[in-house]
Amino acid sequence: MKKRYLSLLLIFVITLRLSAQQEWIVPAENLSKLSTFAFSDSTRKAGMNLYITNCKSCHGDPGKNNVIKLVPPPVDPASDRMQANTDGGMYFKISQGRMPMPTFKNILSPTDVWVVISYLRSFNPKYAQEVAPKVLTGAMVQNVKIHLNWLKEKDQVQAVVSGTKDKIEQPVAGAEVKLFAKRYFGNLLIDEARNTDAQGQVLFNFPKDLPGDSTGYVQLLARLSDEEAYGESKSETTLQIGVPTYKPPLNEQRAMWNVVQKTPIWLLLSYTFTVLAVWAFIFYVLFQIRAISKSGLSKDQDTID
Amino acid sequence: MSSEINTGFLKDKRLDTIAADILRPVGITQGFLVWMAFLSISLAGCIYAYYIQCDKGLIVTGLRDYVSWGMYIANFVFFVATSLVGMLISSVLGMIGFKWVKPIARIAEIIAVAFAAIAGLVIVSDMGRPERLPYVFMYGRIQSPILWDVTVVTTYLVLSTLLYFIPLIPDLAISKGRIGHTPKWLQSTYETLSVKWDHTPKQYQILLKLVRILLILIIPTAFAIHTVTSWLFAVTTRPGWDSTIFGPYFLTGAFVAGSAAVVIMMYFVRTNYKLEKYLTDYHFDMMGKLIVLVSIVYLYFNINEFLIPAYKLKTAEAIHLQELFVGEHAFLFWTVQLSGLILPIILLLFKFFRKPFPIFIIGTVMLIASWFKRLLIVVPTQENPFLPRQFVPDAWMVYQPTIVETAITMGTILMAVMIITVLVKFFPVIPIWEVAEEECHTNNDQPKV
Repeated sequence: MKKRYLSLLLIFVITLRLSAQQEWIVPAENLSKLSTFAFSDSTRKAGMNLYITNCKSCHGDPGKNNVIKLVPPPVDPASDRMQANTDGGMYFKISQGRMPMPTFKNILSPTDVWVVISYLRSFNPKYAQEVAPKVLTGAMVQNVKIHLNWLKEKDQVQAVVSGTKDKIEQPVAGAEVKLFAKRYFGNLLIDEARNTDAQGQVLFNFPKDLPGDSTGYVQLLARLSDEEAYGESKSETTLQIGVPTYKPPLNEQRAMWNVVQKTPIWLLLSYTFTVLAVWAFIFYVLFQIRAISKSGLSKDQDTID
Repeated sequence: MSSEINTGFLKDKRLDTIAADILRPVGITQGFLVWMAFLSISLAGCIYAYYIQCDKGLIVTGLRDYVSWGMYIANFVFFVATSLVGMLISSVLGMIGFKWVKPIARIAEIIAVAFAAIAGLVIVSDMGRPERLPYVFMYGRIQSPILWDVTVVTTYLVLSTLLYFIPLIPDLAISKGRIGHTPKWLQSTYETLSVKWDHTPKQYQILLKLVRILLILIIPTAFAIHTVTSWLFAVTTRPGWDSTIFGPYFLTGAFVAGSAAVVIMMYFVRTNYKLEKYLTDYHFDMMGKLIVLVSIVYLYFNINEFLIPAYKLKTAEAIHLQELFVGEHAFLFWTVQLSGLILPIILLLFKFFRKPFPIFIIGTVMLIASWFKRLLIVVPTQENPFLPRQFVPDAWMVYQPTIVETAITMGTILMAVMIITVLVKFFPVIPIWEVAEEECHTNNDQPKV
């Protein structure tokens, strides 16, 4: 019996070791990807905030190697192993993830990912940034805006993308748009990525059963996939299109775990009743001791014997 | 206890003999002074240890992040457990009609009062910030077993004190003229406490009614006090505590500890006060049989408590049981179970071991074992929490009691012994009127008054 457990344990440990040692291969075409903007103090500061919210719980404080115990273990951002990645490699790993690291492509925008990388690079004194050459896109639009509408009769969300070109506002055609609903732990992709038509419009099928807040509001987020071409472009809108969901807070009703003012009635009654009943008898006994004292013989009478 | 009483014994000459015998040791003697001086000096050392703890905090104890309940809480459970015997002897056995408990009922009540009174203090010793004690009443939640515990411990203490005091009233009246050898203040204390008792039938009638109320009331209260104490553990899901039989398990264990304490005290009273005539071999024999009974019931609950988890072997329970049976705590565990439970059951089946001296030795071993049994309930569970123990120094992962907390624990025991000493030395330790009534009633056929 013991032997069998041992061999099972051994197999388990070996598997863990193997997977821990397995290298995280980044496809070659992703390795050379570069940021389109130069890292600065402001990007590093924004990156630090994003790092604290999204990364720190597993990767710990950079340089302190206080990573959480997972298999394979997270790597300290300040370590040589982390800094050996190319910018593109980092971008790929953060966006895609692998067990047990989650994917961040729906949570962080491409710009956000680069901002985080700028923060990570601040722990590498030897790092010198190489910025991607400005790519001249055919569209050459600026100030891209996404406008979201709710088409009630069709249960669809319409996104209209426009930008200015030659100082004239006009629709952006052929751009890939992704629609997300904001959830507690990240963004939920709605429908799938779709391209705008000649009018800059795109339609997303919206599920009928998506839970919203207590009055049915859902926070929507639309984003262009190709941020390198169009710049950072995202639009947030809150629409009343979800199923109203009301989850009462756990401390709202009377409960065992609540404050004393919210004691369950049955407990309040049984505790109070029991204590009062027992102490009523105790006080009765105390008063009867007085009665004993009073029913003694009066002074002029003699004792019983 | 019958509701009527034959007061004929008050005119009987045998009352004088009985009163003289029982009152002879009462008062301040040299032995008493030496003993109290010894207790006081030892207690002063323990109070100094408590001063250190108040000054530096609980860091001077062995309590750390994982084992945050150690000797103190085990000691608390022990005190509550031992105090329950008052209910067992006076109420349960007395009301069934066993006459032999009459001379030892007050001994059991003294133990109940002393141990219940100190139990509250023991809890305070486990507080790093004792000045926050009033917070229990200011912010306590009715939902918490801790508040239930505070309620029942207080109630039980009051009930036990009344159950000690009320049957004492006629004895104080009988004694007040007969304790000429004691100091004035003790005589006037007798005068005050005897609340103008004149042995009238009406007074006896009221007294017996009150005692009956208290005897009935104390049974559910005693059950509550130790069941709630067990719930402090059993309402958690931790291995070793997550048990549905923890209430009866604690209760039956309490009867074992308490009966052992009664036997020890009976022996001391009998030999020191020369009361062999009243605490006879027969009484020790009956106590021996009682111990066998309560120990077998407790053994039955022990088997349940360990066999069922050992059959299922859920991971956490398995680790816990392994620690107890063959691991770190195995030596203590088996010593406690053998010397505190199994051996006494076997030995006390033989008449020889139910004689005063052998049963006194067995009782002493059992009482010590029952203290360590509480330690085994409290500590090993905390040494194996569900979540991995990490990011703390290695020394924090196990519990190593310090001298300071041992001294504080000793101090609480000393205080209980002091209360017992004072009650035993200043008041009749055997109920004079009940023994006299019993004696006259069974031998003479006096008309009822």
